[in-house]
Amino acid sequence: MINFLEIDHVDRTFPLANGGRYVALKNINLTINQGEFISLLGHSGCGKSTLLNILAGLDRPTAGGIILEGREVRKPGPDRMVVFQNYSLLPWKTVRENIALGVDEVLSHLPKGERREIVTSSMKMVKLDRAADKRPGELSGGMKQRVAIARALALRPKVLLLDEPFGALDALTRGSLQEQLMQICQESGVTCVMVTHDADEALLLSDRIVLLTNGPAAHVGQILTVPFPRPRNRHDVINHPRYYALRGEIIYFLEQQKLAKKRPVRQAPAIIAANGLEKVNLDLGFIPLTDCAPLVVAKEKGLFERHGLTQVNLSREPSWNAIAAGLREQRLDGAQVVAGLPLAMTLGYNDKPPIPIVTALTLSRNGNAITLGQKYLEMGVRSLLDLKALIDANRTDAHTNGQPYQPLKLATVHPASMHNLMLRYWLASAGIDPDYDAEISIVPPPQMVSNLRSGNIDGYCVGEPWNTVAVQENIGYAIATDLDIWPGHTEKVMAVREDWATQYPQTHLALVKALLEACNYCDDRRNRDEIVELLSRPEYLGIEPQYIRPGFIDAYDRGMGKEPETLLKFNTFSVNQANCPDRVEALWILAQMARWDITPFPRNWITVLDRVRRVDVYSEAAEQVGFAGLEPNRNAIQLFDGSLFDPDDPIAYLEKLAIKRDIHIEKIDIDALALLT
Amino acid sequence: MQMLNLSKTQTQTTEAFLTIDRVSKVYPTPKGDFVVLDQVSLAVQEGEFICVIGHSGCGKSTLLNMVSGLSQPTTGQVRLREQVITKPGPDRMVVFQNYSLLPWKTVFENIYLAVDSVFPHKSRKSKNAIVEEHLELVGLTEAAKKKPTQISGGMKQRVAIARALATCPEMLILDEPFGALDPITREELQEQLLEIWRQHQITVLMITHDIDEALFLSDRLVMMTNGPAAHIGEIMDIPFPRPRVRSRLMEDPHYYELRNEALDFLYRRFAHEEEV
Repeated sequence: MINFLEIDHVDRTFPLANGGRYVALKNINLTINQGEFISLLGHSGCGKSTLLNILAGLDRPTAGGIILEGREVRKPGPDRMVVFQNYSLLPWKTVRENIALGVDEVLSHLPKGERREIVTSSMKMVKLDRAADKRPGELSGGMKQRVAIARALALRPKVLLLDEPFGALDALTRGSLQEQLMQICQESGVTCVMVTHDADEALLLSDRIVLLTNGPAAHVGQILTVPFPRPRNRHDVINHPRYYALRGEIIYFLEQQKLAKKRPVRQAPAIIAANGLEKVNLDLGFIPLTDCAPLVVAKEKGLFERHGLTQVNLSREPSWNAIAAGLREQRLDGAQVVAGLPLAMTLGYNDKPPIPIVTALTLSRNGNAITLGQKYLEMGVRSLLDLKALIDANRTDAHTNGQPYQPLKLATVHPASMHNLMLRYWLASAGIDPDYDAEISIVPPPQMVSNLRSGNIDGYCVGEPWNTVAVQENIGYAIATDLDIWPGHTEKVMAVREDWATQYPQTHLALVKALLEACNYCDDRRNRDEIVELLSRPEYLGIEPQYIRPGFIDAYDRGMGKEPETLLKFNTFSVNQANCPDRVEALWILAQMARWDITPFPRNWITVLDRVRRVDVYSEAAEQVGFAGLEPNRNAIQLFDGSLFDPDDPIAYLEKLAIKRDIHIEKIDIDALALLT
Repeated sequence: MQMLNLSKTQTQTTEAFLTIDRVSKVYPTPKGDFVVLDQVSLAVQEGEFICVIGHSGCGKSTLLNMVSGLSQPTTGQVRLREQVITKPGPDRMVVFQNYSLLPWKTVFENIYLAVDSVFPHKSRKSKNAIVEEHLELVGLTEAAKKKPTQISGGMKQRVAIARALATCPEMLILDEPFGALDPITREELQEQLLEIWRQHQITVLMITHDIDEALFLSDRLVMMTNGPAAHIGEIMDIPFPRPRVRSRLMEDPHYYELRNEALDFLYRRFAHEEEV
């Protein structure tokens, strides 16, 4: 199949007056489908407009090329029309004449009456037929831009190129025009490429958003797929549970680029070796959650320093995706991550290239819950079976009324998180298919509560304090804690890149030792009041202690009208061999990720587990600080529903499951992956 | 998550600092009266930061002109500390989007001119000191000798703000001050403005088209209906604790609720259909 529009390894270099060269674009590669709406987003000066000009044929790439329906684009043509920010209308001609100019020129083979008809229908499309005889000077900025769009579309181009089309308009006029443009694109089916720096604009209009890094040598930093169904309207779009998660990713990307831009010269982070360690200055990522306690304790109680890590900076991150990107791009030395992330990153997930990540320490166990919106409690949903009954009733109702069934809208924090895997497991154990009876989206932890409150989602699975916040604000209740599903499950682990661990082995060991001691400190209940005070500080969670205490110190209130329960193991950091990066648990994670088609199941799972879960480093570290560094026995895992997971036959386990997706079993060659990255 | 400061919004026993009292503005035209604003009332407390948002033509700038004293209401009154506003005064300084600096004067001279007109009796030395202090406040000490054409848009707007503040007004009136700036500079200036507002304990009335800007800056967001006969459609309390950090705001669950509510007001309930 021929791709519709291809940007094939495009470079653009400009000669400088001093004889040097300025590399504006480097290796831009992108395939665009017919009818797609693509936004190019980045800061001013990142080369977005240069790329658009190359697409238009107004500029030529220094290397690579543009291919439209199998033909190379070398010059401008009426099949690619451009709309610029400054309208560029002829001021002495009326609206009709401005549009007719191009039509008469390009479509000169058509009879006059037909050309006239095209001009009239184009004006109607942008609702300017009543202004046909006005001159640009009599029109507002928004109206002028509508004329420019009509003029471009009148020539029936294959591709519409928009260069910050609404940049000169005020934010609110911009909003109305965006909705009109969306409608026009919908009706005409034209393929669009738009340059913008407005995240909301891009999310409303695009099918995919291409984030460009700053120049020089700007390249594609990230591509976001926008999942909102069409036809769209602004109200539904901003109320989609993914909206603010995606917007957050764009803002975060721009923020990172802004910081990079402010640094006068981009330097590789310095490596400071001291105290017998290869590197003592570390940037470690964390998410504001109660179970980031070990990192906070290691920092605040001087445990990093005790092990020679004298310059540790804890970096508060907005989402697990941001943390994954930070590790990938080596902005972070290491991070607290959801348990499945090192495995998923090593295998490659969500179309991201695989990259070997290791963990030598489990940081915490338990600490999550499943929260449903208050209305479900009022409907009498107090257990998983009640939920199943409700879903069955909803399906029957929908069927009787001839309406489509509305799946339960749930959210979780990351595909490879225990939240996602355990929520799915819990639902499936009652015969609820998490992909057909429900719809599970990814939302960063701090945004769960607002999405629940506004009714964008019906419930979620997340770590504390975000369940307790819903309970205390009376907008939800914890229908299950993870102690009800799998008490003692692995939750957060410490992750670093495999090549980092190889390059800085002593540093890695010191990091694990410091955190082991911190975990031990966290599990001494005499320290917990102090830890709550540390966590509530603005640089960590920035939240009142009342939301952190339940489960961590105080009895846990599910918000279901019962006495709060004492859950001693709700946050476990150290006791019961908590810290080993256990390989049997990791195998369970691999199986569940394969079950839901998040990653393939590696036929060579033993080698994969040995590479990712560094029990050797853990044991060495544990012994050096005086703990027994043993791996728990290889026992079968049994969850609340009584079914057994046999670590010796994961494939038979997968085959037996009733509710699952298509499972892909592949041999994964990590070294080949490592070479690729 | 919310740490509401209730004390501020509840006590309204005394007269507000600024009172907009049933203000209407009507322009006679050959086709009959054109009502721009219809019965607008708003009480602003001393030290409050108020943002006003609405589509073009909703009379925001008309309202602002009446507060600054550049025009008079047709009916109703605007009062500052119980005194009816009838003309512009140094107690209310206005900053416009287009900077309005004198191009042939340096940055220093532009500010000095304003200081001199408000404090003619002060010594030259103390007037110089006021100018220097305010240049430092907006981080422009090094640009003092430059002319407006030699500095960026963001710097020009900082000069305009410094000039307004140098006359020690009780109230700062801003008409879309950052509308013409790129997003990065805009965010920097918003942060600087908040810092100045915090230090000076000044009352601010600001027009904006940008919901995120309003949520970041203001204590209350006044949302106007569309003209003609525009009025206040809704006033939104912005409860975020101060000092505000932008990245933290983005994490606050209430941020998105408020943002969506404002978007809903502006794009659904009072969507703007551009007339032909």
